[in-house]
Amino acid sequence: MSDKKSLIEEQLDALGDIKGDTVPAEQVRAFVGLVKEFFAGNFDNIDGMELDPELYGELGELAMFINTARKELSALTPGMLHGEQIPDASDQLDEIVKTTERATHKIVDSCEQLQGVNLRVRDRLEMIDPPLDPDVSASMEDALLEADTHITNIYEACNFQDLTGQRIQKIVTVLREIERQVFRMVVVFGLRDKAEALSDEDKHSLESGAELLNGPAKEGEGLEQDDIDDILAKLL
Amino acid sequence: MAVDKNMKILVVDDFLTMRRIIINLLRQLGFNNVVEAADGKQALDKVQIEPVDLIISDWNMPNMTGIEFLKHVRADESIKKIPFIMVTAEGKKENVIAAVHAGVNNYIVKPFNAATLKEKMSKVIGDF
Repeated sequence: MSDKKSLIEEQLDALGDIKGDTVPAEQVRAFVGLVKEFFAGNFDNIDGMELDPELYGELGELAMFINTARKELSALTPGMLHGEQIPDASDQLDEIVKTTERATHKIVDSCEQLQGVNLRVRDRLEMIDPPLDPDVSASMEDALLEADTHITNIYEACNFQDLTGQRIQKIVTVLREIERQVFRMVVVFGLRDKAEALSDEDKHSLESGAELLNGPAKEGEGLEQDDIDDILAKLL
Repeated sequence: MAVDKNMKILVVDDFLTMRRIIINLLRQLGFNNVVEAADGKQALDKVQIEPVDLIISDWNMPNMTGIEFLKHVRADESIKKIPFIMVTAEGKKENVIAAVHAGVNNYIVKPFNAATLKEKMSKVIGDF
């Protein structure tokens, strides 16, 4: 390998020794050819390793990425994430939970009112004297039963509020984990001064292992009621 | 034997909305004698003072979880025979097995509907 490198250096010296403004094309072609061969991996190895231009390109990109990340982290104080951005995101998510909870309460309130209306209608129908024609009475009872079914459907649909609340809590926990990992990166990149700017409470919060709340499983990941019934059938 | 629809049912869930939903679904099924509690500890205190005929409980709750509540119920001679249905989002096999080992009578995974509630209740207390 060192012979080949010397060859390139010799060619470079020779080019530098040329006097005047022009360099013979043949000499330039020969030099460029040597350099191309070098980067194409035609030389056997460097210290026993194969030269791979693609690998070198990727390593170069990785180096640039690390350099950029380091600069971005330099511009970032750890407290920014811990003190403002992630708590803000968590607050927004909390607000979603509260808003959906309020909305669900209103829906349930209205359903209860509707159930009361249905009861009153039934009571009044029974009190009508003389009684209604049986066909009319039956059709009114059918209508009331249909309304009951719709009310039940609304209650069933309101299950979502509990599940979304638990899912959002899970996201908040993940956000806190991201924050913790960013803090670790700050330390790894040597930005200790900024890391030390955090209060002891913040450091403890960031460094402590956050316990992930499992919460509801995603569709297709958790067990369905049928699967659970199978397990129960075997165990109970 | 016919199910007595005046039976007392205890609904336990830390989400008020969820308690209201379950209580209203029970009313739709004809069960109006329902009491409620916001966590396992509150439920245990309540049921030790005034036994109920059926417990429908959530799993994930503060202070005392549903599974802890179930274990306390099964360990207390005076209330150990109360049928217990777990209603939860914890649809994981290990959780179902843990609940069965703790003495659960049935297990409903959220979200659920009135038909599922009725079916599981029927398996525990009889057809209605």
